[in-house]
Amino acid sequence: MSANVKEITQADYQREVLASGEPVVLDFFSTECPPCEALAPKFEAVADQFAGRARFLKIFRQGNRDLAAQLGVTGSPTLIFFKAGQEVGERLGGEDIKRTAIKAQVESMLS
Amino acid sequence: MAERYDLIVVGAGPAGLSAAIYAARARLKTLVLDESVPGGQVKTTHKVSNYPGFPEDVKGSDLAKAFALQAERFGAKIRRAVEITGHELAGATKRFELDEEEQVEAPAVIVATGAKPRDLGVPGESKFKGRGISYCATCDGAYFEGKDIHVVGGGNSAVEESLFLTQFARSVTIIHQFDHFQAEAATVEEALKNPKIKVIWDSEPREFIGEKGLDALRIENVKTHETRVLKTDGVFVFIGYVPRADLVKDVVPLNQWGYVETAEDMSTPTPGLYVAGDLRSKRFRQITTAVADGTIAALAAQKYVKDHRPA
Repeated sequence: MSANVKEITQADYQREVLASGEPVVLDFFSTECPPCEALAPKFEAVADQFAGRARFLKIFRQGNRDLAAQLGVTGSPTLIFFKAGQEVGERLGGEDIKRTAIKAQVESMLS
Repeated sequence: MAERYDLIVVGAGPAGLSAAIYAARARLKTLVLDESVPGGQVKTTHKVSNYPGFPEDVKGSDLAKAFALQAERFGAKIRRAVEITGHELAGATKRFELDEEEQVEAPAVIVATGAKPRDLGVPGESKFKGRGISYCATCDGAYFEGKDIHVVGGGNSAVEESLFLTQFARSVTIIHQFDHFQAEAATVEEALKNPKIKVIWDSEPREFIGEKGLDALRIENVKTHETRVLKTDGVFVFIGYVPRADLVKDVVPLNQWGYVETAEDMSTPTPGLYVAGDLRSKRFRQITTAVADGTIAALAAQKYVKDHRPA
């Protein structure tokens, strides 16, 4: 995994996501999920591009059910974007998440 | 500078990987591009029972990995999770730009981009995608442990995946637009015997309802036009596929449903451009027919490449 992607648990959510000074992209992933496998290298590539400007976090859904339920996440992968502790933009999900789509959402959070 | 191959295959499903196996064994320098991981629709199919060579059911994800390993064993290069950000397919040299930073080219291209799950196109669907509505049972089934869920559709995918979902859900109610299933008889028998599965016939979803997440769906009986609202914890949609023709739609003719018409050898009117698998206009779309298409396309492309090699 890229040094610019960090895995968190729901116990870290307040500190790592809501209190983050930089914009955050949070990836809910599962095992037995080929679209999640497909997303991983794209997520890491975009994380490397925005190193130091935005935070790229991933969270294992099966181990963090309460947070998934609280955020209404029922599919993997799901990408949620946060700026100043607030969810912003569209969630991205499913097999067709494009690298350019992730980049575009991060850029709009930075502008 | 562009890296040159003999053959570039777009799409690493059964058609594309079969093509890659044949092309690599023919010693063509072969590149396979896929925006996801290899396997196409097979990789998210929980089990495959009708692919010859497997007397027991095989997991779709395992079959997908085996196809890819076999192609790689003969030297085909598979690029995973790569995005095609530019393409030029009309000329004698076909070119692709990958991830906005890399160029590859080849005299021959096989497009095997297949099809993707069809959306229902009813109000609320896009709002609740990933918030209650799903298109992949293997990916999302575990989210619905002990829940009461609905499945929309009545073909092989809908009925097979409903059976898979009974491992997690407390109940699975299938909503189907006709009064009988289109799935294989063996699968239908198993589903109708399963105590967790109920069926609502002759009905179609009309609306998905909820505040933050999905709470209910409104369905209409297509015969009586009676509508009712069903409470639900989640809905899985398996109502067929739409072709992924974006790459070729400007260079080859599509039929009225968006599929590509090819000759029997998978060639298109553009020399050196072949289309194989579910993207082709044909009557039956199965793993076996995709494999056959891929084989034929690779054999035809191989001859094309040899005939057009600079002396």
